[in-house]
Amino acid sequence: MSPCDFNRRQFLKYTGAAGAATMAATFSMDDVAQAASVTPLPVGTPILVIVTLYGGNDGLNTVVPYLDPAYLSNRPDMSLDASQVLPLSDGLSLNGTMTGFQSLWAANKLAIVLGTSYPNPNLSHFSSMAIWQTGSPVEIISSGWIGRYLDGLPHDPYRAIGIDSTLTPLLAGNNRVGSMVPISGLQVPYGSLGTQLELFAASSHQDTALVADAAGSIADFYTLSSTLTPVLKNAPPTSASPLAQQLDVVANMITANVPTRVYSVSLSGFDTHADELSQQNVLVGQLSDAVTSFLTQVGATPRADDVVVMVYSEFGRRVEANGGEGTDHGTSAPVFVAGNRVAGGFYGEQPSLTQLVQGDLAVVVDFRDVYASMLEDVLGTDAGKILNNWSTKVDNLIKPVA
Amino acid sequence: MTAASDRLELSRLVHRFGLGPKPGEYLQLLAAGIPQARAKILAHRFDPGLKALVTPPFPDLGPAPYSDPTANAAYFKEVYDQSLSLSPWWMDRMVLADYPFIERMTWFWHGHWATSIDKVQFARTMKIQNETLRTHALGNFVDMSRAMVQDGALIYWLDGEENFAFSPNENLGREFMELFTLGVGNYSQADVHQAALGFTGYDVDLWSGDVTFDSKNHDNTAVSVLGKRQVFDAVSLSDWIVSRPENAKFIARRLWFRFISTTIEPPASLAEVFKDRDISLLINTIARNPAMRRPQYSQAKSPVEWFVSASRALRVTPSKLPESTGLSWLLSSMGQYPFNPPSVGGWPYDEAWLTAAAIPYRVALATNLVQYGDLAPLTSVPKAKIVQAAADWLGVAQWSTRTERALHQAVADPARLALLALNAPEYLVNA
Repeated sequence: MSPCDFNRRQFLKYTGAAGAATMAATFSMDDVAQAASVTPLPVGTPILVIVTLYGGNDGLNTVVPYLDPAYLSNRPDMSLDASQVLPLSDGLSLNGTMTGFQSLWAANKLAIVLGTSYPNPNLSHFSSMAIWQTGSPVEIISSGWIGRYLDGLPHDPYRAIGIDSTLTPLLAGNNRVGSMVPISGLQVPYGSLGTQLELFAASSHQDTALVADAAGSIADFYTLSSTLTPVLKNAPPTSASPLAQQLDVVANMITANVPTRVYSVSLSGFDTHADELSQQNVLVGQLSDAVTSFLTQVGATPRADDVVVMVYSEFGRRVEANGGEGTDHGTSAPVFVAGNRVAGGFYGEQPSLTQLVQGDLAVVVDFRDVYASMLEDVLGTDAGKILNNWSTKVDNLIKPVA
Repeated sequence: MTAASDRLELSRLVHRFGLGPKPGEYLQLLAAGIPQARAKILAHRFDPGLKALVTPPFPDLGPAPYSDPTANAAYFKEVYDQSLSLSPWWMDRMVLADYPFIERMTWFWHGHWATSIDKVQFARTMKIQNETLRTHALGNFVDMSRAMVQDGALIYWLDGEENFAFSPNENLGREFMELFTLGVGNYSQADVHQAALGFTGYDVDLWSGDVTFDSKNHDNTAVSVLGKRQVFDAVSLSDWIVSRPENAKFIARRLWFRFISTTIEPPASLAEVFKDRDISLLINTIARNPAMRRPQYSQAKSPVEWFVSASRALRVTPSKLPESTGLSWLLSSMGQYPFNPPSVGGWPYDEAWLTAAAIPYRVALATNLVQYGDLAPLTSVPKAKIVQAAADWLGVAQWSTRTERALHQAVADPARLALLALNAPEYLVNA
């Protein structure tokens, strides 16, 4: 949703970081032992990792119809030619920065669901992201689709975790909510301060709903910290992209058998109204590198076959470039699904670049079909209950457990 | 004995419409009674508290000397250094003010017309926008909207300087209607496209903040927006869109949402109050709504609101905190830093701020604040009364028995008590 985290004119980058070292903590062997003792997730339990690309990723410069004359003619100054892409098949190719995804594709571990959106796509970032995160294109609701997955299960702060400090709507259910964990971990204060603060974790009949939420966040903080602090002691390299850092945390948690079924991570900056090439190439390269290294990391563990990654954005972008060598908000775009259990290849079909619907790409696949596959074939739950009786899915996208 | 509902209403008034009480203020206002307290909190007048405010100059640096690498590096070092002092300057204002209502309103409008220095880069240009928002914060929305569509930071943020008649860019046109004036569902995609044409032809000198209009790049043909066909420029387009009845409803709901409740809708009559686009009348009406006394209308403090109210209570001036405090990093890690909203949609609200993830950063920042703060309001009272004194000092309506139990652990240590109180559930939420 952030318009341009960086662009050609952003000649300097500053983060305001005043020294992450102030939060650094030390760990005892007791901590490590404790981590292993919390009900570990049995090997063989599927895990879903959801990657949200904020801002509306340009599908046409990600999975590129580089041989289509309409692609070249609509984007004279910002199309990718044959030398800048990595061919797949059917006249489609990956953006040339996405070498990691190319290797996943070659290994038959990358599915690309073409033309994915929902009926009558909304061109507002906020409305469209809300539709994707709630899983509800028609009725406006406030609960996220993963939040509703949690609603049906007992409270467990581990079950769904987002790597960030503020809550993503995706994880907010009607009466359950996922936990948020920052990259730097959740170290509780030492000594008496830690003991005293923990007293705030108790609920009180005097609490309003929000005060109860505040107390609940303190309770979750103590619960999560006991397990995650030792797991996260190896901080990810700060030189890595934000997504790579988040996925590094996820990989450490998965390796440590933390009992989490759904992880949420994100990458921002895809709102490329101007000077798109220089930004979007970098971002999709970061996406490809981060997801590929993540799968390589968990691929070396007994959980290699457990993990499925799904990547989506709130919309794709207009076929025709605008005057600023960028693109305005569009409609359908590819969704990526990757992992050992994924049956690689194309699903849906590439929408025509000339036969547009109200000036934008047609919708070929409803995103709820992809969600239903994730819910039923990864999380093993009834998708209809969570997606308002939605009854179809992308068939054979996820292979049965071997 | 004061009624509990008075304590609740005053706690909300002083935190939501002010930015938290200064030491002693909550009890003084309580003694004065709600009508007088409300009048004081909603006053906008000469502010003696701001005499201590130091405003950095933010000089116009001119265009970058690209051809000279050494001079260019020094130039961008200066751009960066200026940017570092901007947010502390504004938070100083929020903290020092004796009459902070105008800063609270400016803060609301910053979240409404959410623009980020992350793209704009130049502190001077962001500060000009900040002054514009302050000028109109309690004025008329017609004037505010006119000023904002000609604001350099906003235009640049939404690619307005890349919006040409021969090749329109929809970003500003869309967000103007969706987020700033009408709300989703009150315009069509065709309106977005035509509005973009009306906004064409503006250019921004990013270093000075100056905006120029070039008629060669402007669409000088008649376009049709929301049923009206004419040749528009930014001002006439803003006037037309703001004159729509949907604008009154939308802005009234936005203020209600941020000041009263994100879950319970405002009364239908609220939009009628805003028929003349008088912001002062609207917010004064909201502050008098009976919802202010009803427990279910609670709201969470955002990280900046939490930090500012804590700093006011502790008499800490943000810009004077040593760098080792990690102020910008800790607030950013909690998810909020002034002039740096995550997107044009502004910041989230309520439950989004009450995550386990924010807690270590909040505790670290509170620890640093208490270290540099003035604890006289706690050190001057006997131990037996210190827990209640903490509630009165911070403007908390009532501690729960859970929180009282925790605070009683620290009655012998006022610094620890302050640190705990700032992290108590009842302080994280505005009653």
